[in-house]
Amino acid sequence: MSLNFMIAPDFAPERFAGWHMLNTVLQRRSGLGVHLMTPANAQEQGLALAAEKVDMLYANPFDAADLIRTRGYLPFARPAQRYDEMVIATSAASGLLCVEDLKAGCRIALTENRDVKLIGLRLLEPADLLEPLIEWVPVDSYQAAVRRVLKGDVDAAFFLAEAYASLNRTTRGQLHVLVESAISDISHVLLAHPRMATQLPAIEAALLNLGRAPGDAEVLNALGLPGGFIPMTHEEAEFMIDLMDTLLD
Amino acid sequence: MALCNMSPPALASRESQLTYSDDTTRTVYASDVEVPFPAGHLIVSRTDLAGIITHANDAFVDMSGYPRHELIGAPHHILRHPDMPKVAFKGLWDDVVAGKKWHGYVKNLRKDGAFYWVYATAVPNIRQGVIVGYTSVRRKPSRTRIAELLPLYAQWRADEAQGSTP
Repeated sequence: MSLNFMIAPDFAPERFAGWHMLNTVLQRRSGLGVHLMTPANAQEQGLALAAEKVDMLYANPFDAADLIRTRGYLPFARPAQRYDEMVIATSAASGLLCVEDLKAGCRIALTENRDVKLIGLRLLEPADLLEPLIEWVPVDSYQAAVRRVLKGDVDAAFFLAEAYASLNRTTRGQLHVLVESAISDISHVLLAHPRMATQLPAIEAALLNLGRAPGDAEVLNALGLPGGFIPMTHEEAEFMIDLMDTLLD
Repeated sequence: MALCNMSPPALASRESQLTYSDDTTRTVYASDVEVPFPAGHLIVSRTDLAGIITHANDAFVDMSGYPRHELIGAPHHILRHPDMPKVAFKGLWDDVVAGKKWHGYVKNLRKDGAFYWVYATAVPNIRQGVIVGYTSVRRKPSRTRIAELLPLYAQWRADEAQGSTP
């Protein structure tokens, strides 16, 4: 029977091929059948989890917190040197140069990404900007956020730092970074359902050894995770969850 | 655990004698130099149940002015600024020992006598239903809130000096 391996829906579309390459490598090296699941959105992910269809999950940190603490999922790895950071950016022509330049009633574009929003809200606190004081403008993609900022439809936009860095140089030249988070403690997490505890060592070995064989770099680069994966203990995950708990309010 | 007295800093400073909750005392020196909180960063530390620092991230080390080896194993009150009323920290400990989250604006004292303001959150680390330590995360504070709190903190300190509880 195949294991269902779900990827959190916040992965960048250009990484889609990379996750399929990883899935193939995991199957070959673990000797286990692995079926990749790529939900379109958080709702689809939630339904699959509720139906107990997910054996392994590359989870965003906030979903991971719930899955570990309330549903017993086992953390076993995380990406090396890759943390979930975010950027708040304005149009370079806007004259908005620091967070304190944003005022109550400002319009901010953001994608459906809970951790980016939460971290962004914390970075706006020095400007006395609380969530209800902001007019939120939902957008479908980071490219759409850029368009809204450059057209002056919004004052600023929230970006996953990785997505911001992937914008081309010309676009970034038209934007101004008000602030970029540098938390370095919050990352996506690989989780295993407790029912796959017996298969986990084979998957874990295949994943953590990725990078040592010829051709592995191609897979990791396609994932945008050139450093590969490192082990994550239960206590390390608990520490990250405690830290995120402090950011909730 | 008793901390060594601070060395007088090069800059003009005022001397204070602090008495902590464990009844130890320390001479500290506080200057009027403020070090700005680094935008985008979080200051993170963990302590054991007695408030002894077991983990400090790089931002904590940088902002405190102490080398990491002087922080690990030291009580968290190594950062206590004489302008902070004791009652603020009593509230913190009452909450986290009871398993609750605590938030507050805190003025911290650096090793060099300068200070920095933070918005601090402390949570108990609960494992299998038991509190095994505490995590504290500090972020860049609102200056408006600090300005609002300054008179209150001053009043609380005055009350403490007169021996009355605020």
